[in-house]
Amino acid sequence: MNIAEVYRHSMVIASDYRIPDPSRVWPLLERRKDGLADMGAHHVLIYRSLTEPGRVLVMIGVRSREPVVDLLRSRVFFDWFDAVGVEDIPAVFAGEIIDRYELIEAAPDDPPGVLVSGIVSVDNAAWLISELHSAKPTFRDAGVRKVWVFQAFDDSREVMILQEIDNADNARRWIRQHDEAAAWMADTGVGVYPPLFIGEFVQMLRINGEQ
Amino acid sequence: MYVCLCLGVTSRTVAEAVAAGATTANAVAEACGAGSECARCRRSVRAIIDAAAAEPGSTEPRPG
Repeated sequence: MNIAEVYRHSMVIASDYRIPDPSRVWPLLERRKDGLADMGAHHVLIYRSLTEPGRVLVMIGVRSREPVVDLLRSRVFFDWFDAVGVEDIPAVFAGEIIDRYELIEAAPDDPPGVLVSGIVSVDNAAWLISELHSAKPTFRDAGVRKVWVFQAFDDSREVMILQEIDNADNARRWIRQHDEAAAWMADTGVGVYPPLFIGEFVQMLRINGEQ
Repeated sequence: MYVCLCLGVTSRTVAEAVAAGATTANAVAEACGAGSECARCRRSVRAIIDAAAAEPGSTEPRPG
Protein backbone atom coordinates (compact mmCIF):
# COMPACT_ATOMS: atom_id res chain seq x y z
CA MET A 1 0.00 0.00 0.00
CA ASN A 2 1.21 3.47 -0.78
CA ILE A 3 -0.41 5.69 1.79
CA ALA A 4 2.93 7.47 2.16
CA GLU A 5 2.53 8.84 -1.36
CA VAL A 6 -0.82 10.33 -0.54
CA TYR A 7 0.12 12.26 2.56
CA ARG A 8 3.63 13.36 1.66
CA HIS A 9 3.89 17.16 1.88
CA SER A 10 0.19 17.50 1.42
CA MET A 11 -3.27 17.39 2.83
CA VAL A 12 -5.43 14.31 2.68
CA ILE A 13 -9.09 14.40 1.76
CA ALA A 14 -10.89 11.16 2.64
CA SER A 15 -14.45 10.09 2.04
CA ASP A 16 -16.21 6.84 2.79
CA TYR A 17 -19.49 5.91 1.13
CA ARG A 18 -21.59 3.19 -0.42
CA ILE A 19 -22.12 3.02 -4.15
CA PRO A 20 -24.04 0.66 -6.40
CA ASP A 21 -21.00 -0.53 -8.36
CA PRO A 22 -17.51 -0.10 -6.81
CA SER A 23 -15.86 -1.37 -9.97
CA ARG A 24 -16.80 1.95 -11.63
CA VAL A 25 -14.68 3.99 -9.22
CA TRP A 26 -11.39 3.44 -11.00
CA PRO A 27 -12.47 4.22 -14.59
CA LEU A 28 -14.47 7.24 -13.45
CA LEU A 29 -11.47 8.60 -11.57
CA GLU A 30 -9.27 8.05 -14.61
CA ARG A 31 -11.67 10.15 -16.66
CA ARG A 32 -11.44 12.97 -14.11
CA LYS A 33 -7.67 13.19 -13.94
CA ASP A 34 -7.62 16.70 -15.38
CA GLY A 35 -10.12 18.03 -12.86
CA LEU A 36 -8.24 16.35 -10.04
CA ALA A 37 -4.96 17.81 -11.29
CA ASP A 38 -6.53 21.29 -11.42
CA MET A 39 -7.39 21.09 -7.74
CA GLY A 40 -3.85 19.98 -6.87
CA ALA A 41 -4.47 16.25 -6.38
CA HIS A 42 -1.38 14.10 -6.94
CA HIS A 43 -2.47 10.63 -5.83
CA VAL A 44 -5.78 8.91 -5.19
CA LEU A 45 -6.03 5.67 -3.23
CA ILE A 46 -9.06 3.43 -3.41
CA TYR A 47 -10.03 0.76 -0.88
CA ARG A 48 -12.97 -1.64 -1.05
CA SER A 49 -14.74 -2.88 2.07
CA LEU A 50 -14.32 -6.56 2.92
CA THR A 51 -17.39 -6.57 5.13
CA GLU A 52 -19.94 -4.30 3.44
CA PRO A 53 -20.58 -4.75 -0.27
CA GLY A 54 -20.52 -1.44 -2.14
CA ARG A 55 -18.64 0.49 0.52
CA VAL A 56 -15.45 2.25 -0.57
CA LEU A 57 -12.87 4.51 1.04
CA VAL A 58 -11.24 7.05 -1.27
CA MET A 59 -8.26 9.10 -0.10
CA ILE A 60 -6.92 11.97 -2.17
CA GLY A 61 -3.52 13.57 -1.61
CA VAL A 62 -3.66 17.26 -2.49
CA ARG A 63 -1.05 19.99 -2.72
CA SER A 64 -2.80 23.31 -2.99
CA ARG A 65 -2.65 26.86 -1.72
CA GLU A 66 -6.41 27.05 -1.93
CA PRO A 67 -8.29 26.89 1.36
CA VAL A 68 -9.68 23.40 1.85
CA VAL A 69 -13.22 24.76 1.85
CA ASP A 70 -12.72 26.11 -1.67
CA LEU A 71 -11.39 22.74 -2.83
CA LEU A 72 -14.35 20.88 -1.37
CA ARG A 73 -16.92 23.13 -2.99
CA SER A 74 -15.30 22.76 -6.41
CA ARG A 75 -17.32 21.00 -9.08
CA VAL A 76 -14.87 18.09 -9.03
CA PHE A 77 -16.38 16.64 -5.88
CA PHE A 78 -19.99 17.14 -6.87
CA ASP A 79 -19.40 15.74 -10.36
CA TRP A 80 -17.61 12.80 -8.81
CA PHE A 81 -20.43 11.94 -6.41
CA ASP A 82 -22.94 12.29 -9.24
CA ALA A 83 -20.91 9.99 -11.48
CA VAL A 84 -20.56 7.17 -8.94
CA GLY A 85 -24.22 7.36 -7.99
CA VAL A 86 -23.99 8.95 -4.53
CA GLU A 87 -27.11 10.99 -3.83
CA ASP A 88 -26.50 11.80 -0.15
CA ILE A 89 -23.07 13.38 -0.02
CA PRO A 90 -21.08 11.97 2.92
CA ALA A 91 -19.13 14.05 5.38
CA VAL A 92 -15.54 14.49 4.20
CA PHE A 93 -12.38 14.33 6.31
CA ALA A 94 -9.64 16.83 5.45
CA GLY A 95 -6.42 16.88 7.43
CA GLU A 96 -2.73 16.14 7.62
CA ILE A 97 -0.51 13.42 9.00
CA ILE A 98 0.61 13.89 12.60
CA ASP A 99 2.13 10.48 13.33
CA ARG A 100 3.05 7.20 11.66
CA TYR A 101 5.09 4.16 12.48
CA GLU A 102 5.88 0.74 11.14
CA LEU A 103 5.70 -2.25 13.47
CA ILE A 104 6.20 -5.20 11.13
CA GLU A 105 8.14 -4.93 7.93
CA ALA A 106 6.27 -6.87 5.26
CA ALA A 107 8.38 -9.07 2.99
CA PRO A 108 8.10 -8.34 -0.75
CA ASP A 109 6.17 -11.55 -1.34
CA ASP A 110 3.76 -11.05 1.59
CA PRO A 111 0.16 -10.51 0.53
CA PRO A 112 -1.09 -6.94 0.83
CA GLY A 113 -2.45 -6.12 4.25
CA VAL A 114 -5.94 -5.18 5.29
CA LEU A 115 -6.74 -1.55 6.09
CA VAL A 116 -8.75 -0.68 9.17
CA SER A 117 -9.78 2.96 9.19
CA GLY A 118 -11.67 4.95 11.77
CA ILE A 119 -12.47 8.61 12.32
CA VAL A 120 -13.23 9.70 15.86
CA SER A 121 -13.26 12.75 18.07
CA VAL A 122 -10.85 12.44 21.00
CA ASP A 123 -10.27 14.71 23.97
CA ASN A 124 -6.57 15.04 23.26
CA ALA A 125 -4.85 13.89 20.06
CA ALA A 126 -1.37 14.07 21.65
CA TRP A 127 -2.51 11.76 24.44
CA LEU A 128 -3.96 9.32 21.91
CA ILE A 129 -0.65 9.20 20.05
CA SER A 130 1.21 8.56 23.27
CA GLU A 131 -1.19 5.70 24.07
CA LEU A 132 -0.73 4.22 20.62
CA HIS A 133 3.05 4.29 21.03
CA SER A 134 2.92 2.72 24.47
CA ALA A 135 0.93 -0.20 23.09
CA LYS A 136 3.24 -1.01 20.18
CA PRO A 137 4.07 -4.55 21.37
CA THR A 138 0.38 -5.42 21.63
CA PHE A 139 -0.31 -3.97 18.21
CA ARG A 140 2.57 -5.99 16.76
CA ASP A 141 1.29 -9.20 18.35
CA ALA A 142 -2.13 -8.53 16.81
CA GLY A 143 -0.64 -8.34 13.33
CA VAL A 144 -0.73 -4.56 12.96
CA ARG A 145 2.01 -3.69 10.48
CA LYS A 146 1.67 0.08 10.23
CA VAL A 147 -0.23 2.92 11.84
CA TRP A 148 -0.97 6.38 10.46
CA VAL A 149 -2.72 9.17 12.38
CA PHE A 150 -4.18 12.21 10.64
CA GLN A 151 -5.58 15.29 12.36
CA ALA A 152 -8.45 17.25 10.85
CA PHE A 153 -7.91 20.85 9.82
CA ASP A 154 -11.31 21.93 11.05
CA ASP A 155 -11.19 20.32 14.49
CA SER A 156 -7.97 19.45 16.32
CA ARG A 157 -9.82 16.78 18.33
CA GLU A 158 -10.82 14.89 15.22
CA VAL A 159 -8.45 12.20 14.01
CA MET A 160 -8.44 9.57 11.31
CA ILE A 161 -6.47 6.47 12.29
CA LEU A 162 -5.41 3.94 9.69
CA GLN A 163 -4.01 0.55 10.63
CA GLU A 164 -2.58 -1.91 8.16
CA ILE A 165 -3.06 -5.44 9.48
CA ASP A 166 -1.41 -8.50 7.97
CA ASN A 167 -4.59 -10.39 7.08
CA ALA A 168 -8.38 -10.25 7.28
CA ASP A 169 -8.67 -12.82 10.09
CA ASN A 170 -6.32 -10.86 12.31
CA ALA A 171 -8.11 -7.64 11.40
CA ARG A 172 -11.47 -9.06 12.48
CA ARG A 173 -9.94 -10.48 15.68
CA TRP A 174 -8.26 -7.14 16.47
CA ILE A 175 -11.51 -5.26 16.05
CA ARG A 176 -13.33 -7.64 18.40
CA GLN A 177 -10.62 -7.95 21.04
CA HIS A 178 -8.37 -4.96 20.78
CA ASP A 179 -6.02 -3.41 23.27
CA GLU A 180 -7.11 -0.55 25.53
CA ALA A 181 -4.98 1.79 23.40
CA ALA A 182 -7.27 1.02 20.48
CA ALA A 183 -10.45 1.58 22.48
CA TRP A 184 -11.25 4.47 20.15
CA MET A 185 -12.35 1.88 17.60
CA ALA A 186 -15.50 1.33 19.64
CA ASP A 187 -16.38 5.03 19.28
CA THR A 188 -16.58 5.02 15.49
CA GLY A 189 -19.92 5.15 13.73
CA VAL A 190 -21.43 7.76 16.03
CA GLY A 191 -23.20 10.74 14.52
CA VAL A 192 -21.53 11.85 11.34
CA TYR A 193 -18.53 9.55 11.78
CA PRO A 194 -18.61 6.43 9.60
CA PRO A 195 -18.42 2.98 11.18
CA LEU A 196 -15.02 1.29 11.23
CA PHE A 197 -13.88 0.51 7.69
CA ILE A 198 -12.18 -2.83 7.01
CA GLY A 199 -11.02 -3.06 3.47
CA GLU A 200 -8.49 -4.03 0.87
CA PHE A 201 -6.42 -1.88 -1.42
CA VAL A 202 -7.88 -1.67 -4.91
CA GLN A 203 -5.77 0.77 -6.85
CA MET A 204 -3.73 3.96 -6.77
CA LEU A 205 -4.14 6.68 -9.36
CA ARG A 206 -1.10 8.85 -9.98
CA ILE A 207 -1.80 12.27 -11.40
CA ASN A 208 0.48 14.41 -13.52
CA GLY A 209 3.31 11.94 -13.71
CA GLU A 210 3.69 11.55 -9.94
CA GLN A 211 5.67 8.47 -8.95
CA MET B 1 -15.46 16.62 9.15
CA TYR B 2 -16.90 18.81 6.45
CA VAL B 3 -20.61 18.11 6.30
CA CYS B 4 -21.88 20.74 3.90
CA LEU B 5 -19.51 21.04 0.95
CA CYS B 6 -21.49 23.89 -0.61
CA LEU B 7 -20.80 26.22 2.31
CA GLY B 8 -17.92 24.42 4.01
CA VAL B 9 -19.84 23.82 7.24
CA THR B 10 -18.19 21.37 9.62
CA SER B 11 -19.67 18.69 11.86
CA ARG B 12 -18.59 20.71 14.87
CA THR B 13 -20.55 23.74 13.69
CA VAL B 14 -23.61 21.57 13.06
CA ALA B 15 -23.22 19.97 16.51
CA GLU B 16 -23.07 23.43 18.06
CA ALA B 17 -26.25 24.42 16.25
CA VAL B 18 -27.93 21.26 17.54
CA ALA B 19 -26.69 21.93 21.07
CA ALA B 20 -28.15 25.42 20.79
CA GLY B 21 -31.58 23.98 20.08
CA ALA B 22 -31.85 23.03 16.40
CA THR B 23 -33.64 19.67 16.32
CA THR B 24 -34.51 19.39 12.63
CA ALA B 25 -32.51 19.62 9.39
CA ASN B 26 -34.41 22.80 8.54
CA ALA B 27 -33.54 24.36 11.86
CA VAL B 28 -29.87 23.45 11.39
CA ALA B 29 -29.92 24.97 7.89
CA GLU B 30 -31.36 28.15 9.31
CA ALA B 31 -28.85 28.26 12.17
CA CYS B 32 -25.61 27.61 10.30
CA GLY B 33 -26.40 27.13 6.62
CA ALA B 34 -25.62 23.40 6.44
CA GLY B 35 -28.00 21.79 3.97
CA SER B 36 -29.44 25.09 2.78
CA GLU B 37 -27.99 24.92 -0.73
CA CYS B 38 -28.13 21.55 -2.53
CA ALA B 39 -29.44 19.75 0.59
CA ARG B 40 -27.49 16.58 -0.25
CA CYS B 41 -25.79 16.64 3.17
CA ARG B 42 -29.01 16.46 5.13
CA ARG B 43 -28.55 12.79 5.94
CA SER B 44 -25.29 13.70 7.73
CA VAL B 45 -27.03 16.60 9.46
CA ARG B 46 -29.76 14.26 10.66
CA ALA B 47 -27.14 11.78 11.92
CA ILE B 48 -25.67 14.53 14.10
CA ILE B 49 -29.13 15.48 15.39
CA ASP B 50 -29.92 11.82 16.17
CA ALA B 51 -26.58 11.30 17.95
CA ALA B 52 -27.19 14.35 20.11
CA ALA B 53 -30.70 13.17 20.97
CA ALA B 54 -29.33 9.74 21.93
CA GLU B 55 -26.72 11.12 24.30
CA PRO B 56 -27.35 10.33 27.96
CA GLY B 57 -28.99 13.29 29.62
CA SER B 58 -30.43 14.67 26.41
CA THR B 59 -33.86 16.16 26.91
CA GLU B 60 -34.61 16.27 23.22
CA PRO B 61 -37.12 13.75 21.93
CA ARG B 62 -35.57 11.28 19.49
CA PRO B 63 -36.83 12.01 16.00
CA GLY B 64 -39.11 9.28 14.89
